[in-house]
Amino acid sequence: MYPPKIGYVIPDTLEEAMEFLENHEDARPLAGGHSLIPALKLRIIRPSYLVEIRRFKELNYVKKEGNTYKIGALTTHYDIIKANIPLLSETATTIGDPQVRNMGTIGGSISHLDPAADYPAALIAMDAKVVIKSRKSERIEDFKNFAKDMFTPDLNVGELVTEIKLPDFSNYKFSYQKLERRAGDFAIVGVAVLLKLNGDVVEDVRIGLTAVNNVAVRAKGAEEELLGKRLSDELIEKASTRSMESANPTSDLRGSAEYKKKMVKVMTKRAILNALKR
Amino acid sequence: MKIIEKDQKVKITLTVNGEKHEVEVEPRRLLVHVLRELGYTSVHIGCDTSNCGACTVIMNGRSVKSCTVLAVEANGAEILTVEGLSKDGKLHPIQEAFWDNHALQCGYCTPGMIMQAYWLLKENPSPSEEEIREGISGNLCRCTGYQNIVKAIKDASLRLNQKEYPRQL
Repeated sequence: MYPPKIGYVIPDTLEEAMEFLENHEDARPLAGGHSLIPALKLRIIRPSYLVEIRRFKELNYVKKEGNTYKIGALTTHYDIIKANIPLLSETATTIGDPQVRNMGTIGGSISHLDPAADYPAALIAMDAKVVIKSRKSERIEDFKNFAKDMFTPDLNVGELVTEIKLPDFSNYKFSYQKLERRAGDFAIVGVAVLLKLNGDVVEDVRIGLTAVNNVAVRAKGAEEELLGKRLSDELIEKASTRSMESANPTSDLRGSAEYKKKMVKVMTKRAILNALKR
Repeated sequence: MKIIEKDQKVKITLTVNGEKHEVEVEPRRLLVHVLRELGYTSVHIGCDTSNCGACTVIMNGRSVKSCTVLAVEANGAEILTVEGLSKDGKLHPIQEAFWDNHALQCGYCTPGMIMQAYWLLKENPSPSEEEIREGISGNLCRCTGYQNIVKAIKDASLRLNQKEYPRQL
């Protein structure tokens, strides 16, 4: 399988890349290419040009400033795993397979915004912010608003995701649990949990669900059930059951809607129990 | 800024197993095709959809699936394939371990499997069985059931960690 005939642009600076993208509405930036190249092969998209941005080292970093992690958009999943960021690194270990994680980038993943991708569960639970730049402007959006709909990030022509910002959750217990058909596949259901305990009372809880809606969502019902209460098996069971309120999956080759919904409960429970082991 | 139109070719340089190659490619050419045409036919095209891992090579020190990398993207890269592993007619310890443990039947997945094992052992010289299985989760084998592959990689790690096998990684 070949990609279709396509032009290729090698910009010298990020500025040039953004300028070209601004002037060519149907051009696409190429980062790790692990969503883009398969999509080209399948003729799902037919851009005029690919604009190579992968080599821009200035967008490849993980920094911790005060209480905030700053992650360059071109940081690979491999490098994110190595950075030991609470919850996000664990989530990255479940993406694709090792070769995919060596090439794929976080900026590319969230700009593609597959509804079954893993990162969104963690990003929505962590209240991540997305830095978006064009040649003339810069804006910061909550990931929640950035992810408008499946495959539809809040990006205008000429804009690129340049950075992801996350608060540090190292005083939380956390876990990302992914149900998959086979190694390396997208999630059937993915659940990210962050738990802050005071003794055994839940002081804060954040639960992100991926693959069961058009975009990742917080399981608000489950969070409400847990918040401020003393943890018990019964409470965890109740909260896990309520996590299904936030899931509205569709039937596809990975399972029926009914099955996926039930699995949200199972995976939420697993994620909570796993987080507690930490 | 360099703009290559869709019908134009562009000259790229690849260093494969230490040997420098200059080739002209269309932007849409995949790295796997270019490598095979250069004679590195150990690099197999299996699924062509970045699932099976038969096209795995080491690019700039990291294992990648060369069916999902454009050749033009790889311009200037250092690439290692199975052909570059043996030295002076002597097989690499990973190759020997695959041989001795019967880690292949049809052999189609083997070059990709060996390159992924190479990268895995560079990252983690003494992996557990679980780490090996996770490490080769991007490589599919339809013959062996993976048992002997896992055994071979464990064996290779022991060979590489021993003194009588000069560490080549």
